[in-house]
Amino acid sequence: MAAKSRIALPLELAVKRHPNMPWRVCALALAIAPLGLARADGLVVIVAANSSAPKLNAEQVSAIFMGAAKSFPGGEKAVPIDQTPGSPAYGHFYNQVAGRTEAQVKAYWSRMVFTGKGTPPQDGGDAAAVKKLVAGNPNLLGYVDASLVDGSVKVLSEIK
Amino acid sequence: MSKRQHLTLLMACSLALPTLTMAQDDGPKFSFSGFGQLTVAKVLGGTQRPYMEWNCPCAIQNWEYVGVYEKSKGWQADQESLLGLQGSVRLNDRFSATAQLLSRANNKSYRPTLDWAYASYAINDEWTLQAGRKRIPLYYYSDFLYIGTAYPWVRPAPDVYGWPIYAYDGANLAYSTAVLGGRWTVDANVWAGGFNFKNAPYDTRIYYGDPTDEKWRNIFGGYVTLSNGELSGRVMVMSFNNDQRTHKADGTTSINMDGYKTTIWGISANYDGRHFIVRSELNKFSQQVSGFTYNYFLLGGGYKLGDWTAMYTISRYRTAENNLGFAIEGRRTRSLAIRYDLNKNWALKAQYDISKDQSQYDFFGDHRLLSFSAQTSF
Repeated sequence: MAAKSRIALPLELAVKRHPNMPWRVCALALAIAPLGLARADGLVVIVAANSSAPKLNAEQVSAIFMGAAKSFPGGEKAVPIDQTPGSPAYGHFYNQVAGRTEAQVKAYWSRMVFTGKGTPPQDGGDAAAVKKLVAGNPNLLGYVDASLVDGSVKVLSEIK
Repeated sequence: MSKRQHLTLLMACSLALPTLTMAQDDGPKFSFSGFGQLTVAKVLGGTQRPYMEWNCPCAIQNWEYVGVYEKSKGWQADQESLLGLQGSVRLNDRFSATAQLLSRANNKSYRPTLDWAYASYAINDEWTLQAGRKRIPLYYYSDFLYIGTAYPWVRPAPDVYGWPIYAYDGANLAYSTAVLGGRWTVDANVWAGGFNFKNAPYDTRIYYGDPTDEKWRNIFGGYVTLSNGELSGRVMVMSFNNDQRTHKADGTTSINMDGYKTTIWGISANYDGRHFIVRSELNKFSQQVSGFTYNYFLLGGGYKLGDWTAMYTISRYRTAENNLGFAIEGRRTRSLAIRYDLNKNWALKAQYDISKDQSQYDFFGDHRLLSFSAQTSF
């Protein structure tokens, strides 16, 4: 009980002295909340460092990963690599790039697979495995956390 | 096969097949996938009268294999439930072969049929040549009519999706490319072939009573779809020669249609936003000599919120005066469908339909139908 009082007291006092404090606390909490998700929000689309592929906007990234575009805007063959379906990165990537939940992405590919119109990107494993695959082939592109980018790959697009 | 056995088989396949997928680095690559649905429905009310073999009130929900629910039978799971399995072998970057078996509750007690069997050759990144048996991509949902996870309803509006022939044996040339800086995609396809369906259930059970063969010859069709991920528009036209013969109980054969030239047109426009959905189709069937004309459409609007989707849809079809003296047939349906994505492989759906028979003869009559379906792709 004493410990609870020691923790609660400063906030109660602060609220009495500053009636607007709860709103400020909430605003601060909302402002810093995304920091806890920074890792999930920091995805980037990468290609091998020696790739000549140009920068991509979100629509171009979506077109390649949804099978609508088979090449980079410059004309070179583009082969997308997914992180494992079900991973946080997979869900975040398709939600941001294509506006679809994982179930909706699966539904889309079910239609394509069962009508002979296409197959989903290859499952490249986790972020480290995807980066390793991409770094070794200039036609591949994948998405990884920005913190993993090093000299073996270059960034084509940032996923907000 | 009981309902429990069917559901058990669906779940076992959905769990087991992904582990069977082989992806060798060298040599042919085999892959297996599948889809299925367990659909139970009950007619809550409607027009009371018999039609053909059915004791109505009843509701026809699948025309190809004649799935009809009857009020007198209560809850039924044996009209639309199905299981499909697909196997593919990819020999190299260009050549692959695919076969798909489909087992339907209402087709000879789940006896599998070969709905797809085709070879595919990728000429380049844009052009693909395919040959074999495929479903006809007539309307927007025609070639994935049974992939329940790919649409919001329990089933696409039967008022639009209902013909005796659903597949063709032949070849097609498909084209796909990104345009306008990658923001839009053009998907086009032309196909040619034919299909001979002996004792077609649609003709035999719904219209003639005696075994009736349906043949579509000289099928030539094509569509172009333009989409940007949210908006899509599609235009389709297909023509064929229609033969239809009925083998009567007295041993004689009547020729109902003798190669009548037939043309089907279809346009559709859809919107898939983050929350809002719009579905629309407008189609027309026109046949020379017989003068048969069908006009039919569907229009639906929906809202997605997380794993939930709600959809309200109206659909209608209507024939016109014809040279064979058949009475005008028509139907108008309103549907409310709810979909819940249980996970990436399973969708649970509920749907309530109110359908008015507008035919000028005693056809199936009105119905109110409540349906529940568990649908999967794996």
